[in-house]
Amino acid sequence: MIKLTFVQADGSRIEAEASPGTSLMQAAVNAGVDAIAAECGGACACGTCHCVLPQEWFERVAAPEADEVDMLEFVIDPQPTSRLSCQVVVTKEMQGMEVNVPDTQV
Amino acid sequence: MSLVVVMSSFDLREEDMSPDPANKFVLDPHSAAFAANPYDVYAAMRAMDAPYYWEEADTWMLTKMADVEAVALNKTMLRNNEAFITEADRKAQQRAINFHDMPFHERYVQVNLLESEGETHDRLRKVVFREFTPAMIARQRDAIQTFVDGLLDELSEQDEIDFVSDFAAHVPGHIIGRVLGVPDEDAPRLRHWSEEVVRFFDPGRDDADKARAELATKEFYEYLLNLLADREAAPQEDLLSRLIARRDAGQLSQDELISTAMLILMAGHGSTIDVLGSGMHALLRYPAEHQKLRDDGTLMKTAVQEMFRFESPLPYFHRFATDDTEVGGRMFPAGTRFGLLYGAANRDPARFENPDVFDVGRTPNRHMAFGGGGHFCLGNHLARLDMDVIFTTINARFSDIVLTETEVAYKRGLSVRGPQALRIEWKRA
Repeated sequence: MIKLTFVQADGSRIEAEASPGTSLMQAAVNAGVDAIAAECGGACACGTCHCVLPQEWFERVAAPEADEVDMLEFVIDPQPTSRLSCQVVVTKEMQGMEVNVPDTQV
Repeated sequence: MSLVVVMSSFDLREEDMSPDPANKFVLDPHSAAFAANPYDVYAAMRAMDAPYYWEEADTWMLTKMADVEAVALNKTMLRNNEAFITEADRKAQQRAINFHDMPFHERYVQVNLLESEGETHDRLRKVVFREFTPAMIARQRDAIQTFVDGLLDELSEQDEIDFVSDFAAHVPGHIIGRVLGVPDEDAPRLRHWSEEVVRFFDPGRDDADKARAELATKEFYEYLLNLLADREAAPQEDLLSRLIARRDAGQLSQDELISTAMLILMAGHGSTIDVLGSGMHALLRYPAEHQKLRDDGTLMKTAVQEMFRFESPLPYFHRFATDDTEVGGRMFPAGTRFGLLYGAANRDPARFENPDVFDVGRTPNRHMAFGGGGHFCLGNHLARLDMDVIFTTINARFSDIVLTETEVAYKRGLSVRGPQALRIEWKRA
């Protein structure tokens, strides 16, 4: 299992475990990260699973596809290292990764 | 969205049903009993080991959140079955549901973003998505507030109203018209056309309804053509003007522009009226929850979410399997038609604690009232903003809101959920 930490807007940390091949969004939802709304369920169709990766992790994670880049244009307060967590596939290289979660998605 | 039935109108035929003996009951979604309480029926279906086969519509009905979610998110499950039927079969199917011989309806209502898949769907969705983001929709807040205030001013002289026909029915169509760029004075015509077209999806429709739906589509089309000509001459800050620019940039055709404009109106009009009615009904059925919301207005977002979960206004959509697929622990062949009972999934105890309890503070509330996957409701932020403004304003302006009838009849059918009428008394606060 891959250990991940979701850092919420108020600074609180939620530890999560995920299997490689599942999505970062699923890991957040399973761990009870309520701020990851993920309303469409993970189809890159709603833009409500926005997260921000630390620069060093952003560079190591597979780059977003065109659909995700388009959708990221519409999230609240997008950052250079923003991702839609439903489109980020957990890999074993992500052991110990921290993920910042905005306080709201809509 | 009200167009749910375009390709799923088999469920509207009134035919003799021969129940599968393995099924513990006959699903009769057109009955008064089902309208009064579909949730017991959903619970009975959910208790079965495998999905319930609804013979009348040759459809496997899914009621568990896990199954509904899996199918909605499965990219091989499509809204239409054109991938594996011949054109002759498609025509026969269209004729069987009496969707033929209505050229305007066939061209602008039966074909649209919702009914499409693949490249067409992705392209059209991308064009329209930007218009319905939270930031774009938030721009409508003041206009919604002004409209709602004006409507309530008119009604506040009356002690008793039908919340559905006197109030709710006026709001969503007007606001969507505004988003599109329809002048305020034309909003009632827009609503009329939308309702005429949508009525043709009702059970028991006849040829007179068909003629009216076709006429309404034609009039709506002609109206849009005129409005488009105006906007071409003098673009405005509205959706139609921006769609024209995208059409001219080759991103969508003229037909797609027209059908998209019609879809936007029809998708959000009736369903928002229904959930406004059922949301108000829920507050009145559960006065302690209403009081909680009155005491703490910051609960409005979760309350609105709960209204959508508790009485999902569009409780039923369908998908076709294009591959052999396992669903709910059983294998199904390509071509199988699945019914996604969002209204049932949203009451699944495996996902929601005390699912039959209306809880204005419910968190998290990962319901599927807006569907899921690639067809996830585009207008969800607008619907929620309408509701937020409306219930906040009503709570501030009216006290002692009570139902004047103990029995509230809900609309019949599988694809809609909302009160037919909601007689209430209210006092100005």
